[in-house]
Amino acid sequence: MKKTNVRMQQPGMDRRTFLTALGLGGVGVSALIAAVGNLLYLKPAVDYGPPTVIRAGRPGEYKEGIKEVLEDQRVVIVRDKKGFAAISITCTHLGCTVGTSDAGFECPCHGSQYDNDGFVTGGPAPRPLDWYQVSIAPNGELEIDKSVKVPPGTFFKA
Amino acid sequence: MNDSTQNARPAPRNRLAEFGNHIYRSLFRYGRVPQDAEGQSYAVFNSLFLHIHPVKVSRHSLRFGYTLGLGVIATALFLVLTFTGIWLMFYYFPSASEAYNRMLDLRSAVDFGFVLRNVHKWGAELMVLVVILHMARVFFTGAYKPPREFNWLVGILLLLLTLGLSFTGYLLPWDQLAFWAITVGTSIAGYAPVLGPPLRRFLLGGDVVGQEALVRFYVLHVVILPGLLSIFLAVHFWRIRKDGGLSHPDDNDIPPKGGGR
Amino acid sequence: MNEVNTKHVYPEDPSKTYGLMELVKGTKPTVGLQPDDMVFTWPHLLVRELTLFVVVVAVLLVLAFLFNAPLEELANPNHPPNPAKAPWYFLGLQELVSYSAVIGGVMIPTLIVLGLALVPFVDRKRTGIGVWFAKERSLANGLFLTFLILMLVLIIVGMFFRGPNWGFVIPWESAQ
Ligand code: HEM
Ligand code: FES
Repeated sequence: MKKTNVRMQQPGMDRRTFLTALGLGGVGVSALIAAVGNLLYLKPAVDYGPPTVIRAGRPGEYKEGIKEVLEDQRVVIVRDKKGFAAISITCTHLGCTVGTSDAGFECPCHGSQYDNDGFVTGGPAPRPLDWYQVSIAPNGELEIDKSVKVPPGTFFKA
Repeated sequence: MNDSTQNARPAPRNRLAEFGNHIYRSLFRYGRVPQDAEGQSYAVFNSLFLHIHPVKVSRHSLRFGYTLGLGVIATALFLVLTFTGIWLMFYYFPSASEAYNRMLDLRSAVDFGFVLRNVHKWGAELMVLVVILHMARVFFTGAYKPPREFNWLVGILLLLLTLGLSFTGYLLPWDQLAFWAITVGTSIAGYAPVLGPPLRRFLLGGDVVGQEALVRFYVLHVVILPGLLSIFLAVHFWRIRKDGGLSHPDDNDIPPKGGGR
Repeated sequence: MNEVNTKHVYPEDPSKTYGLMELVKGTKPTVGLQPDDMVFTWPHLLVRELTLFVVVVAVLLVLAFLFNAPLEELANPNHPPNPAKAPWYFLGLQELVSYSAVIGGVMIPTLIVLGLALVPFVDRKRTGIGVWFAKERSLANGLFLTFLILMLVLIIVGMFFRGPNWGFVIPWESAQ
């Protein structure tokens, strides 16, 4: 009992202030934890989108110099002397789907233009089109992993 | 009890009328149409719905040429949008494969479906326009000056909520217009430094506009944003009263005071 | 009535058009500088509100029966319409975004919202309140009008002067 009294006389921290601070602190911390929990709840955890790894048929099906658009995958398969490449057809400006043109690619939304390798030649696009990793699946088909980006100009020799 | 009181009882028909009158009086305490100042006062402040108004208002604030009625029109539009929106919810389905079909059905199969959809759509466009014009009115009449600074801020929030409602509503029909407007719009959000990319993922529930995005936009559009808008609309109205009614030439040159009023 | 007490607790403030008081029978409230300026909400304000509401509903119904809200083809992630245009109130933004996404899409809108929010804290002088385009406020009004016109011009450009690939078109020349 006496001990408590001594402590209570210390400046700035009587029992009431202490308990109030403790209580308010507890409420504050709990609110913070709850807020974080709610945010985490809303954070997309499961990816319901289309699969990121796709198969694109046998390498022999592509002739040299071809630009084959796989619309549903939003990717174009390019084959030239250097090998295979998978270039995204999602405009790096604001996400429209670009179309192919003689010079390369052209976006209908705000007029960005790209050359055959996806480098920007005009319009507001800030960076070249994404290049995805190409490899050969065990069954001999081309495999494209859209979650792995490679530097533009990285061709895959089949 | 004696005979004379028995005889004084009203005839059955009158008793019915009296009963009806009793019910009526319990609903509308102060008569049919208020006749005098007392009745007019009671009519306003005894009613839950009317008592957001003060009992008396200044003549100046009633002049159509002053407000152009824009705030009231915006409120009316919001009420109509809420009503038609809830009605649309009976048929609408936030599914990427179903939403568009439901829009077609609303247009052709459902009785008066096209009316509800059209009213909702045109009302939404008008609401954006009217809210912007309302803001311009407030500016050009200097109505944001003390003590109404805070209500100007609430108003900006209401404008942002209105834009948010229209943006989220825009995706729901799941047509070409909807899909690409939202693709472009959320990509813009992705450019914001630091917060942009996670905000975009939160909005879309993934990396592309798809089923997840549709559900998220739907919840925002029919629950969260209208709820927030209702709350801040209430704050907006409450501030008007606390700030002494609408702005008035008499508000000029009053020395600023500290503290809230 | 306890007038003295009331005054102490609720000092008179000439800028208030209302006050806390008893309900008294009479036709004039005792607040405000010019009591004659005040009218009863019922019916004066209420009829006006009701009228506007009815007009709004009527206009919307007429619009709804005359014009169908647009509905394009089913969403197709592979083929953006060309040009893909945002709703009119975002067309100004889209026009800015076509120059630069960061400046036009993020920085300028943020600055606009911040600027609007700061208005009452920058312009604090209590003059020119309660009238349209007061002389004392011509600078502020001029600036705001310029801002609105700029937005409007951007929207009009986005709406009528942008064609395929967001290229510049003259609306009356490409009419075929
Ligand atoms: C509580 C209020 C609201 C509810 C419950 C609601 C509900 C809905 C529903 C179910 C749809 C889908 C059907 C359709 O597309 O027509 C929709 C669409 C839409 N809503 Fe709302 N809404 C509300 C308020 C608003 C407000 C305040 C605005 C804008 C100011 C707005 C703007 C839109 C737009 C632009 C569409 C797309 C309409 C179209 O393209 O046909 N809504 N709303
Ligand atoms: S989205 Fe391709 S140019 Fe804007």
